[in-house]
Amino acid sequence: MFLEVQHIIKSFGAEKVVKDLSFSLKAKQTLSILGKSGCGKTTMLKTIGGLLSPDSGKILLDGEDITETRPEKRNIVYLYQEDLLFPHLNAYENIAFGLRLKKIPEGLIKEKVGHMLHSLELEGQAEKMPNQLSGGQRQRVSFGRAISTNPSLLLLDEPFGSLDTGTRQRMQELFKKLTAEYDITSLFVTHDLKEAVLMGDQIGFMQNGLLTVYSDKKDFIQDPQTGVQNEIEFWGGLR
Amino acid sequence: MKTKKPNIGIVLFVAIGVVPFAAAFVYALLYSFGIIGVANQGFTLRFWESVLASGTFFKSLGYSVVIALVAVSLSVGGALWVTLKFRRQLEKRILSFVIYLPLAIPGIVTGFFTFQLFSKGGFFARISHKLGFITEASQFPDLVNDGLAVGIILSFITMVMPFFVLLFLNVYKNERIEELSILAQSLGANSRQVVHCVFLPILIRKTWVLIILYFIFLLGAYEVPLILGQESPQMLSVLIIQEIKQYDLDKISEGYVVAVLYTLLVSVAALALFLPKRKRAYAS
Repeated sequence: MFLEVQHIIKSFGAEKVVKDLSFSLKAKQTLSILGKSGCGKTTMLKTIGGLLSPDSGKILLDGEDITETRPEKRNIVYLYQEDLLFPHLNAYENIAFGLRLKKIPEGLIKEKVGHMLHSLELEGQAEKMPNQLSGGQRQRVSFGRAISTNPSLLLLDEPFGSLDTGTRQRMQELFKKLTAEYDITSLFVTHDLKEAVLMGDQIGFMQNGLLTVYSDKKDFIQDPQTGVQNEIEFWGGLR
Repeated sequence: MKTKKPNIGIVLFVAIGVVPFAAAFVYALLYSFGIIGVANQGFTLRFWESVLASGTFFKSLGYSVVIALVAVSLSVGGALWVTLKFRRQLEKRILSFVIYLPLAIPGIVTGFFTFQLFSKGGFFARISHKLGFITEASQFPDLVNDGLAVGIILSFITMVMPFFVLLFLNVYKNERIEELSILAQSLGANSRQVVHCVFLPILIRKTWVLIILYFIFLLGAYEVPLILGQESPQMLSVLIIQEIKQYDLDKISEGYVVAVLYTLLVSVAALALFLPKRKRAYAS
């Protein structure tokens, strides 16, 4: 397995936020994780990304133990709930940010960012500052910036939560296209049931700090605690 | 009614902000050319020629620029360092009060305190004497009324640095630099790169206009250099007041020449800052 998370526990004071987290994920796959607010999803992502230290447990990435590795050395990118762009940089420089840190030659940066802007359908927007872009465009730049560094693992924390329905749908399609194009392995956290089903190759459900990963989407649909059955009943009742 | 409100605002601004300033400037200009003034006998360029030839103005201007530049640089640098290292502690109520406190102290009091602390007969000189570091007052280093303007710079830092700490803390929060730093780290930035690529550019680009305005403010400061400055060269405001208040009536006109020159200089700097249309908060 490409990502192996083994018995991770994370507490804040007396409150155990993540309880015995264990799961694994194959390379180039997306695990979507459904959960309500406050169930420990963000803490789980930040722990895997190295932004929080676990109390116990182990994280293996491509066979290497990264539990103690500093976040900047993990090659794991954590994407915030909001389209958090660097306000002092234009769209081009935001996407190039990670590449510049890696001291990649200027010509290659230009090529990569140009290609990324094309993939993101953002040609002609390169010079615009974040406050001149729409919500959907900012989110796309945010994606591009994360993907351009070719991360081993992408952690997405409710990335489309602030977008309207139409933009959200377009972003979901774009995300699927980009993950396939750039061979991205990702954890996609959402509280939207439909989005969880659409985005993941595998689906997990998190509740009170405990994560259940379903081997099959059917198991996820059948499990009453995921809320899928309630949804089916609701929409069925409208007929 | 809606359209009248902005008009009243503009009228008030012109009446309170522009007219008195313009009147004072015209008065100073006329005085500097000898058109008005008790002993003046009509238009002349001799006061201007005298000021420009003596070099006192340029010496004083250079001295003021260096002092203001050093004080602003140290204050901004210090405030950035404090924000970077102690922002969590500064969010606590008592510490935030400690930062606000120096802002309430007038410049003249700060100057007086600095004099009491750092003069040859002051607090630190006495402590040094008690501890045996010096045997007489003259051995204490010149920290006030000195050529290097140590006392003036110390006072300016005491007055200005807390303001910048509060400003930077505010921008840090509003611009979400904490989250952006974590994001940069996640993209591969080490601590040094986070400071250089995220923390500094965002804070400086968001506040550079205020930094320059504070530089201009210090350039024209009066009370502190009056108490802590040396005989010559003096900072500009002190020079202007000293010239205007002299018994030699010619010197009054020369004082107005310096005042006009200083006003023109600051006005040009302010115009250069604010005239270009700033379409966005950040320059790319």
